[in-house]
Amino acid sequence: MMTSLNSRGETSNFDILIVGGGLVGCASAWHLARLGLKVLVAERGHLNSGASGQNAGSLHFQIERRFLEQGEKAAADGARIVTLNRLAIEEWRGIEHMLGRPLDVAMHGGLMVAETEEQMALLAFKVARENELGLSTQVLDSAQLRERAPSLSPHLAGAAWLADEGHANPRILVDAFAEGAVEQGAQIRTGTALTGLSMARDGTYRAVLSGPDGELRVNTPRVLLASGHWTARLAGLLGLNVPLYAAPLMMSVTDRTEPVLPYLVQHVGARLSMKQTEDGNLLIGGGWPSRLVRRADGTPDLDRPATVEMKNLRANLAVAARVLPGLAQRSLLRTWTGTTCISADQLPIVGEIPAAPGLFVAAGGSLFTLGPVLARLLARTIAEGSPPEELSMFLPRRFAHLDAFAVLP
Amino acid sequence: MKRIEQGVTRPAQIAVEIDGARVMVHPGETVAVAVLASASQRFRDDRSGAARGMFCNMGTCSECTVWAAVGTSPWRRLRGCLVPVEPSLRISTRDPESRP
Ligand SMILES: Cc1cc2nc3c(=O)[nH]c(=O)nc-3n(C[C@H](O)[C@H](O)[C@H](O)COP(=O)(O)OP(=O)(O)OC[C@H]3O[C@@H](n4cnc5c(N)ncnc54)[C@H](O)[C@@H]3O)c2cc1C
Ligand code: FES
Repeated sequence: MMTSLNSRGETSNFDILIVGGGLVGCASAWHLARLGLKVLVAERGHLNSGASGQNAGSLHFQIERRFLEQGEKAAADGARIVTLNRLAIEEWRGIEHMLGRPLDVAMHGGLMVAETEEQMALLAFKVARENELGLSTQVLDSAQLRERAPSLSPHLAGAAWLADEGHANPRILVDAFAEGAVEQGAQIRTGTALTGLSMARDGTYRAVLSGPDGELRVNTPRVLLASGHWTARLAGLLGLNVPLYAAPLMMSVTDRTEPVLPYLVQHVGARLSMKQTEDGNLLIGGGWPSRLVRRADGTPDLDRPATVEMKNLRANLAVAARVLPGLAQRSLLRTWTGTTCISADQLPIVGEIPAAPGLFVAAGGSLFTLGPVLARLLARTIAEGSPPEELSMFLPRRFAHLDAFAVLP
Repeated sequence: MKRIEQGVTRPAQIAVEIDGARVMVHPGETVAVAVLASASQRFRDDRSGAARGMFCNMGTCSECTVWAAVGTSPWRRLRGCLVPVEPSLRISTRDPESRP
């Protein structure tokens, strides 16, 4: 499909402009194109160059540790995400069929391990809550854990087990969505950044895209900011406040070894995620921060890659080796950084911004695991004009008070 | 691939061992150079069994990773492009522990 420009270099050919060619942008493009919308995706770098290509690829559906470490109120709030996690399990079970190609999806189960009796109590609390919400996690004592995962340390106190957890390959998923979207008629422009955004008197949007062929002006009734941690900054172009905060992280990979770990491993009391890829490499992460580069004025420079924080890398590898003693024999091949974002209440922010009808966002949290299902629900919201019930607790309207003083258009 | 010889002086060669074979290298050259100077020029194999070579020569890609030991010291994995050769160096392009 060609973009037809009028004499002023403008196009009004698209039902929606999607800003960002990560998982959220490309999966949304795929769904929206299938629903018959004319979609333009603008990606500043290349596809998958943000968090979607840098992440750990964990498919974790148990309540995350980050919810549990902030006390009972946060844990109760965090539990609400379980209903979404259940939908995500279905989504991942069908995703290779849906996209018609292998995506290294392995859902052989996941363990959230504990080292102390106190941590076992936290697991018991978590598992009880999960089961109330229909997620069949199960507590394993140390003997049961040994039987299930003999490569893990005999000193572990036990674990919470969920048969649906696992991992997938973040390097190939976005391409699959992007290629499918283009087949359905979506247009994708890489090397093309959104540099200006305003609302016209009639409530439609005027976007300026800067790319290899110069500037393109797009007039469109809808914009989806699928721009990861940059979403807050881009919403700022309209004077809007989306409470998303950058979370710079790091990941490490070891050399290959024979199969020792068929499961996703997390830790309830320490930051850890660990898995073995199909090629045999062990991937280690779990939310240890890297360091954002700062500009001369002290503000973080979100356009430059964060740097590895050696102290945190050592701590990350130490937890990993405590849980999987065989790791001591492996060599670290590489550590890299990536930046994602969390929202003010740790839950994803997905849907239409009340102060700016036609403007949609989707960011915050573990959007590798949740990205595919959220993109599906968001596409329905956009195509049908109202959100499905499943999205109700993730809608941006819970932060509408932050835009009480916005002036639009 | 060969060393530039004209107009260059190098220290006298020393012998290192690569996968059991003797290879002559100059002090100051890296382990990666030693592998390139060997007959096979092979660093590792990909999962189909095809040879992979070094790529960046600056410690970034890990494609030059080999096992190395000095004399009877334990084997260590290292990036060949970052480590200079030394006398009694032994290099293995495959896991020495899993070799018959
Ligand atoms: C190290 C790490 C490990 C993680 N591990 C996991 C995990 O195991 N499981 C899990 O579920 N989640 C994990 N996450 C989180 C997950 O990766 C992200 O939530 C998810 O990838 C977000 O996808 P996205 O499409 O919203 O953002 P991104 O992939 O960041 O995409 C945003 C895109 O927008 C583009 N963009 C920005 N500004 C502009 C502009 N002005 N114009 C045009 N384009 C623009 C960027 O170039 C980028 O490609 C991890 C994240 C990191 C960093
Ligand atoms: S050749 Fe790239 S790390 Fe040595």
